[in-house]
Amino acid sequence: MVKKKNIFRSTGILLLILLVVLFSVFPFIQMLSTSLKYQWDWGNPSLIPTKINLEAYKELLNIGQAEKNIPDSIKNLLDENPELTTEQRKQILSKYASTGDVFPFMNYFRNSLLLSFSAAFLSLVLAVFGAYSFSRTKYRGRGVIQRGVLFVYMFGGIILLVPLFKLAVAVGLARTPSGSFLALLIIYIVQTLPVSLYMLGNYFRTIPLSIEESALMEGCSRFGTIWRIIIPLSISAIVTVFIYSFMIAWNEYLYVSVFLKSYKDLYTLPIGLRALFVSKNAIWDRIMAASMLTAVPVVILFMTIQKNLISGMSAGGVKE
Amino acid sequence: MKKIILTFMIILLVSMIMITGCAKEEKAAVGPVEIEFWTTETQSDRMSTIQVLVDSFQIMYPEITIKLIPVDENDMPTQINAAAAAGTLPAIIECAAENAVAFGSEGFLDSAAATALINEIGADKFYAGTLKLNSSGSGEYYGIPYHGWVQGLWYRADWFEEAGLNPPSTWKDIEKAAKYFYKPDENKYGILVGTKDEAYAEQCFTQFAMSNNASLFDKNGKLIFNSPEMKETIEFYSKIAKYNPPGPQTWRARDYYLQGKMAMFFYSTYIMDDLALQEVAAGSLTSENFKDLAGSDFNPELVEHTRLASIITNKSPAGFGVVVSLAMPNQGDPAKTAAAKKFLRYLYTPNAYITWLHMAPGGMNPVLKEIAVNERFQNDPKGIFKHYGKEKMAEIIQGLDKIETFSIVEGNRIAAASKIYSQQIIPQMLYKITQEGMNVDSAMKWAEGEMNKLAE
Amino acid sequence: MSIAVKTLSLKQREARFGRVLIAPAVIIIAALIFYPILYQMYMSFFDVKLLDRSVFVGFENYREILTDSSFWKAVFTTAVYVFFTVAGTTLTGLGVALLMNRDFPLRGLVRSLILLPYVAPVISVVYAWKQIFDPVNGIFMHLTVEKLHLFDERFNLIGSPDSALWIAIIFSIWKNFPFTYLMILSRLQAVDTSLYEAAEIDGAGGWQKFKAITLPEVYFVMGALILLRIIWNFFKFEDIYLLADNVKVLSIYTYFKAFVGTMELGTGAALAILQFSLLVLLILFYVKRVLKW
Repeated sequence: MVKKKNIFRSTGILLLILLVVLFSVFPFIQMLSTSLKYQWDWGNPSLIPTKINLEAYKELLNIGQAEKNIPDSIKNLLDENPELTTEQRKQILSKYASTGDVFPFMNYFRNSLLLSFSAAFLSLVLAVFGAYSFSRTKYRGRGVIQRGVLFVYMFGGIILLVPLFKLAVAVGLARTPSGSFLALLIIYIVQTLPVSLYMLGNYFRTIPLSIEESALMEGCSRFGTIWRIIIPLSISAIVTVFIYSFMIAWNEYLYVSVFLKSYKDLYTLPIGLRALFVSKNAIWDRIMAASMLTAVPVVILFMTIQKNLISGMSAGGVKE
Repeated sequence: MKKIILTFMIILLVSMIMITGCAKEEKAAVGPVEIEFWTTETQSDRMSTIQVLVDSFQIMYPEITIKLIPVDENDMPTQINAAAAAGTLPAIIECAAENAVAFGSEGFLDSAAATALINEIGADKFYAGTLKLNSSGSGEYYGIPYHGWVQGLWYRADWFEEAGLNPPSTWKDIEKAAKYFYKPDENKYGILVGTKDEAYAEQCFTQFAMSNNASLFDKNGKLIFNSPEMKETIEFYSKIAKYNPPGPQTWRARDYYLQGKMAMFFYSTYIMDDLALQEVAAGSLTSENFKDLAGSDFNPELVEHTRLASIITNKSPAGFGVVVSLAMPNQGDPAKTAAAKKFLRYLYTPNAYITWLHMAPGGMNPVLKEIAVNERFQNDPKGIFKHYGKEKMAEIIQGLDKIETFSIVEGNRIAAASKIYSQQIIPQMLYKITQEGMNVDSAMKWAEGEMNKLAE
Repeated sequence: MSIAVKTLSLKQREARFGRVLIAPAVIIIAALIFYPILYQMYMSFFDVKLLDRSVFVGFENYREILTDSSFWKAVFTTAVYVFFTVAGTTLTGLGVALLMNRDFPLRGLVRSLILLPYVAPVISVVYAWKQIFDPVNGIFMHLTVEKLHLFDERFNLIGSPDSALWIAIIFSIWKNFPFTYLMILSRLQAVDTSLYEAAEIDGAGGWQKFKAITLPEVYFVMGALILLRIIWNFFKFEDIYLLADNVKVLSIYTYFKAFVGTMELGTGAALAILQFSLLVLLILFYVKRVLKW
């Protein structure tokens, strides 16, 4: 009797798990399906393509793409321009033929990774020190600062866009590519810092003071204890905060679209995908293929972190 | 633990190096004058063609550097406004004439420079109607017309023949056909008109309104939106919108037509280009390697069976189209404006002009009379002129001269109408009626209130 | 005497150390958030002209917004959106965390797979969602209308504003539950298993164990997660805008009001201040009533 009940229970639980997995990955299955369909097959609601089409992936990864044909109008334009030397003509034509790279995926990916990693890392460093200050030291005004930091966070959203852009232009950051990149980096740090401080501060409080005190007795400096005691003990919370900050920068679209609009080389994945979306009329297979290509490396990245993440998490969480 | 931190440090270091690496690159690119050109031709093959134009220009004028930046048509107002707020307006923009007028009346555009350029090219060489769409109302022009498309109702001629229906060029025939082909049980729909609150809805609606002699303003600029003709048009529009695919729809739903699930759709002549592509695809698909395709929705003869009704008639015949203009936002630096002017002048030289137009034959039509009859222009790379015939193409291009919009009334340019266009009041009203179920009278009352606010 | 001096200076040193540590964070936040906030407050009293001098209008911007019925509609939509997304995300996250806390085959893989929605860029997944719910070609309509006959006719779930709100809510839950799940799971794994064993000896059932042990353990994590989720979803813009811009929550309303067509920065600023006040009220209520801090 008891056994029977257990079998029911465990199959029920397995079904539930299956349901959760299906719910999570279904849109990705749709994505994969469309990315493998031919244009004439898009009207077909089935998830299985009538005929597998790998063109989209080949085009995006620039595999086996023939050089672009040069239209007559362009040849004429260049031929009838007396001021052009043969050399210059060749140069322009080869540039035209080589711009077949519709979605410089590696480039976008590198930019996104760079921006998100640096933003998350710097935000984390500031947050570790700040959170330590909140949870371990006493001074006047601490409470005000602590609450104030989270309080200003409630003033978020798109409405900060114009003032921040104005500010970036005023200090001259928005005028150069690296400056714009830096401005974005700082904005992401600021946007993630309040939550990082809050989460880490709460976590540090759960670490027993006694461990730290004994280290201090042994002659460790304050920075030494942060480095040797606090960080190792809260590694799981730190990783979580890192992931959180990373994802904010990774997903962000609005600020990037305004700040990096003029600098195609610095496009991140979200704005690159958007640019891809408007780059051709019949685009579904390419957009979906690009989305798949975007998702896969991140998933691999997280699968590797995840072991460390869950097993390492110990008491505390975001306890107040 | 330490490994993780070490990795972080390395990544940070690498990122620093990469950032400084970027900084070096940009120094090399700085020239005496650098200007930005925002284009709405975001498609990658068009971008590379325009880049060729830019490159060849830069060789002639090495002191000028032009940065080509694609901006989505729908993002243009946001981006322009943000740039204006920050003082980083580009030197040249390419956008619909209505938007140019709206930006111009906000004071963003250098109309003196635009007017000077038009006179330099020769105002009499343009189709007069296209110039008028850009006029500021005080003898100047906000933008310079560059190319344009004509809108019409595209339909499946074979289906119409089979059903014994007339081509959809009058209100009555349109309604009849839309009703006939609307078979939601079979997942087939009668017509596509815009019902989402986007420019597309306004474009479809304008043609109906014009064919019913309904307008927003009289020639003195007085708002006459609340008229029996307008009401009749709105009622008719919401009636045929019932034969749309479900929910609010915009031009992207033309895919349903290509999939054989829709009988008629409003679209610009740009579809000629798309259909031609479809034909190329069809050619490769019907060969032996795709025998197993039988029975799918794909129809390789789609191009053959697609016809255009470019004029719609009820009380009077009406056509509709959009002229795309080039405009020069205020720079506060004469050198930049001069550079922008030089480049624009270059774009109007026959060779450069034809190169541009051939990016999308059919969709991009010239506004200079002499280019329209230029032999090289008519010999387009996708064979559109051959397919549709020179007369049909001439009719389309002539149509540009007679585009009727709410902002031109008996030759007078009404600036408030452009504001109404860019605020999308009419699409919002149509959305309220067709999607939120608001009744026509209260929706019109709402729209009139909004229009009055803008016309002040 | 000398001891007193020493402790004082130690305290002072302690305070100085604390301040030094927090200083970078405070400076960077102050520079980048306080300035825009003050700027917005200032702007909200002006009719802002981009190229001209702005005109002082007092409370006119506020009056205009507060008398606009679509603003109140947006407030209501936002309330619905925030309530259901926060409740849905938290409950789904909790349920999944309880599930994932068990042993089952392929647990590592499953745990990674369900992180997918959280880690994929919003812009790439919205297109897939739009395709699923496409009224003519989408699989959802195909299954429910043609195969299962649940509905009589096809309809546009994302297009119609009423149903779009619910799709946006489900989308938000789908997108964000993994984060909640991750946080709760980490807390669950720290629960001392001997507590459960003791309870079992006392004859407690599954539900009782959950109520008596699990819930108190995760109560504060969930409280904090809910607080953050409220703030996040209150301002949520991209997820909604890219999926269904017809769901007029406050952020979308602001976007259309302040950015589309001619830019009304003064009104936009006033809207920002109003949103901020609303959120503060909401949070105060939540903290007082729910968290009892």
